[in-house]
Amino acid sequence: MNFDLNFATNPDLVAFQDEVHTWLEENAPRDVPRSADPILYTHEEFEWRRDIGRKLGAKGWLYPTFPSEYGGGGLDLDRATIIQLALDEHRIPVPPYYNSGGPLAAASILVWGTEEQKRFFVPPILRGETVTWQLLTEPQGGSDLATVTTRATKDGDDYVINGQKVFVGGAYEFDYAWTIVNTDPLGPRHQNVSWLMVPAKSEGMTRQSLDLFTVHGAGESPVGPKEAVFFDNVRVPAFNLVGGENNGWKVASTHLEYEHGGAGHLRNIWVLDEFFQYCKETKFRGKPISENPDVRDILADVWADYQVDKLLGMRTFWLHHTKRPMSYEGIQSTFYHRMFSLRTSQRIQQALGYFGLVSDPQWTPNEGRTEVFVRYGLGSLHGGGTHDTDRVIMSRRMGLGRNASESAGQMV
Amino acid sequence: MDLSLTESQQMLKATAAEFVKTEVPTHVVTELSRKNVGFVPELWRKAAGLGWAGMLTPPQYGGAGLGYTDTAVLFEELGRAPLVGPFFSSGVLAPLVILEAGTEEQKQSLLPPLARGERIATVAISDPAPSFGADSVLMTAARDGDAYVLNGTKLFVHDAAAADYLICAVRTEPEDPNDLTRGITLVVVETGAAGVSVRNLEGFMAAVGQVDLSGVRVPASAVLGTPGQGWPALQRAMQRALPVLCAYQVGGAQEVYEFTADYTKTRVVFGQPIGRFQRVQDHVVELVNNLDGARWTTYEALSKLDDHQPAAGNVHLAKAMASDGYYQACVNSLEVHAGVGTDRQHPLVPHVIMARTLYSYLGDPRYHKRLMADAVGL
Ligand SMILES: Cc1cc2nc3c(=O)[nH]c(=O)nc-3n(C[C@H](O)[C@H](O)[C@H](O)COP(=O)(O)OP(=O)(O)OC[C@H]3O[C@@H](n4cnc5c(N)ncnc54)[C@H](O)[C@@H]3O)c2cc1C
Repeated sequence: MNFDLNFATNPDLVAFQDEVHTWLEENAPRDVPRSADPILYTHEEFEWRRDIGRKLGAKGWLYPTFPSEYGGGGLDLDRATIIQLALDEHRIPVPPYYNSGGPLAAASILVWGTEEQKRFFVPPILRGETVTWQLLTEPQGGSDLATVTTRATKDGDDYVINGQKVFVGGAYEFDYAWTIVNTDPLGPRHQNVSWLMVPAKSEGMTRQSLDLFTVHGAGESPVGPKEAVFFDNVRVPAFNLVGGENNGWKVASTHLEYEHGGAGHLRNIWVLDEFFQYCKETKFRGKPISENPDVRDILADVWADYQVDKLLGMRTFWLHHTKRPMSYEGIQSTFYHRMFSLRTSQRIQQALGYFGLVSDPQWTPNEGRTEVFVRYGLGSLHGGGTHDTDRVIMSRRMGLGRNASESAGQMV
Repeated sequence: MDLSLTESQQMLKATAAEFVKTEVPTHVVTELSRKNVGFVPELWRKAAGLGWAGMLTPPQYGGAGLGYTDTAVLFEELGRAPLVGPFFSSGVLAPLVILEAGTEEQKQSLLPPLARGERIATVAISDPAPSFGADSVLMTAARDGDAYVLNGTKLFVHDAAAADYLICAVRTEPEDPNDLTRGITLVVVETGAAGVSVRNLEGFMAAVGQVDLSGVRVPASAVLGTPGQGWPALQRAMQRALPVLCAYQVGGAQEVYEFTADYTKTRVVFGQPIGRFQRVQDHVVELVNNLDGARWTTYEALSKLDDHQPAAGNVHLAKAMASDGYYQACVNSLEVHAGVGTDRQHPLVPHVIMARTLYSYLGDPRYHKRLMADAVGL
C-alpha cells in the first residue's frame, strides 16, 4: 500500500505538478475577496469563481477524469490527484462555483443519454461554460424521491412542466436545472419518472429565496440562499429529456451515486486547519488555548475524526478513479462526513465557548469561517438525503438481512 | 414522595402558557430571532406587571417572595417560546447576587425597582475568554480616592443591550495565582455612565452583548458588599439561580419535543407517517430522554433549594444536563425535520439558537460536571 501523495519519483508527474502550480499562481490569485458565509457571497465573487471555472474547464482540469471527447480532462488518477491537491492549496473547491447539478447531470447524460444529447449538453458543463442546479426535492418530502409530483406532460415536440421544487439552487445566474419530474401519474412506482435539462431562461419558471441557517458542508463552493423554484407551464423541448420517458429511476441511480459521494474526495478542510491554528495562536492568560487540557482533548478528538473523514474520502476517490467495484463506500464517506461535521460543530463550541458562535468581526475567529463551520455542522445532516436514508442505503449495499446486496449505481 | 405541581403552581403555569401563546405566537418568535432582537420593552413591561420580574425577591424588597419551583414553573413556560428578554438576568440572577453580596441599604435601594421591572440589571462576569470561571475575570478596578476606575471589556454579556446597569466582576486586589477566585469585587455600573458603551453582538446566539468600559469612574459606594468577596457571593447566587435557568431550557426542550412528536404523525413520506420509521423513532426517543434527564435533575435541584437542603451537586448536575439536553434535543429535532427544520421561519430554529447560547452561559456542561464531581465527593 502507498498512501503517499508525493510524486517526486516520477519526472512526468513532477513536471505536471509544476505546470499546475504555475498556472494556478498566474490564474487564481489568492487575495480575491471571499465571503466567510457562503450564504452571503457577492456577485463579484460569483463572477470570479465562474471565471476561474471557465479557465480550468478550458484546460480540462475542472473535471479531469471525465472523458476528453466530451470536454473533460481524460486524465488519470495521479494527475487528477495533483490537480485536486493544488486547487485545495489555493482554497478552490471543485468546481469553484456552485454547480450542484453539473457533474451529476454530465455523468447521468454520459451513461444514459443519446450521443446527440452527450454532445450537446455535456461539453459546456465540463468546460465550465454553464452552471447547472439539481432540482429533486419537493415540499411533500425529499427522502422519497420516487414520488415526485412535479408533472411533465408531452405536448407535441415539447414537455410542459408544472410543480414546485424546494431547497434547491442558490444565488445568481444559472443555465440549466437538472430536474426529476413525474411523466406518468398513473404509472407504477419507479416507472413513471424522467429527467429533464430545463434551460434556466424558460418562461414560467420563477425563483424564491429561502432563509435557511445553513447551505451545505464546509469546503464546498458558496451557494447563496437556497431557493424554491416554481414551474408554471414551462415548455422544454422533448430533446432535453434524458434516458427515455419513465426510465428516470435508472438514470437516478447514476445521479445519486455521485450525489451520495461515490466520486470520493481528497480535500483538506482548511477551515478546520485554521481552527487548530487559532487555538495554537490565541492566548488566554499568557498560554495558547490549545495547551489548556480540556481544549487539548477536544482538539485531539476533532483531529482523529478528521483523519478518518479524510481517509474514507480518499479510499472512495481511489476506488472510483481506478474503476474498482464499489458498494457502500461512497455513501459511507458522505454519512461519516455528516456525523463528523455535527460532532465538530459541538466540539468547537466546547473549545471556544461563545467564540464559536459569534460572527461579529471584532471577535469571530478566522473572519467568521469557524462560526460558519459550527452553524453548518448542524445543517449538514440533510443535503442530498438525510443521514437516516444514508443508513438505509448503506445497509442495502452491505446486504444486511437480504440474500442479495444492492449494487452501486453506474458511474462514468 | 410527591412529584406533582401544587395547585397554585399549576395555575401559574396556565397563566404563563396563556401569556406566551397570546403575546409571542410562533411567527413573532421566529421574526425576533431572524432579526436578532433580544429585548421587547413592551412585553417586558407586561410581564413585569404580572410580577414576573421579582418572583424570588422577598416581599420586604418588593418581590413576590415565591419559591424556586414556583419560579421555575414560570420559566419553563417562557422557555417554550423561547421568549427573549432579561427575565433571568434581571429577574433572578441579579437580585440573587444583590441578596448574596449587597448591604442592607443596597438591597433596599436596588431590589424594589428590579422587582417592579422598572430597572433592568444584568451580571457581567467574563472578559474575553474561551470559557467561564473565576479565571475569566481579568478586568481590574483601580482605586482613585473615593472612586474606582474601570477599564476593559466584558464580553458575551447576556441581555446587556436591555440593561440599565451591570453588576460587574472586577479585580480590586492583585491576583493570587494559586486561587483566582480571590480578590474579585462586584461593582454596580450604570450603562448610561460616561465611558460605557454597550452593543448587541451578531452570531448564532441570542441577546448576547459586549460592554466596553473606558475610564469609567464609579463611587466606592457602588461596590456590592465587601470588596474582594465577589466570587463567593456570585457562587452562592448561582447555586440558587441556575436551576431556574435550567427550567427555561427544560421548557425549550419540552416544546421541541411536542412539535417534533406531532410532526412524526403528520409528515407522510413513503406513504406512511414518518413516526413509523424506526430511525425517526430513535431520534424522538433520544429527544425525550434528553428532555426528561434535564427535567428531573432540574426539578430535584429546585426542590432541594425550596427545602433548604444542600443542593450544590444537584445544581451543577442540572445545569450540565439541561444545557446538554436542550442542545441535543434540538439536534434530534433537526434530524426528524430534515430540510424544513433549517428554515429560519420554522419554530425549531430559535430553539436551536437559544440552546447553543445557553450551552455556554455561566459554564458549559463540562465545567458544571466537574463542580458536581467535587460537590458530591467523587
Ligand atoms: C442545506 C440543504 C441543501 C439542500 N440542497 C438541495 C439541492 O440542491 N437540491 C435538492 O433537490 N434538494 C436539496 N436539499 C433537500 C434535501 O435533499 C432534503 O432535505 C432531503 O432529501 C430530506 O428530505 P426532506 O427534507 O423533505 O425530509 P423528509 O423526507 O420529510 O424526512 C423527514 C424525516 O423522515 C426520515 N425518513 C424519511 N424516509 C425514511 C426512511 N425510509 N427510513 C428512515 N427514515 C426516513 C428522514 O430521515 C427525516 O428524519 C437540501 C437540503 C438542505 C437542508
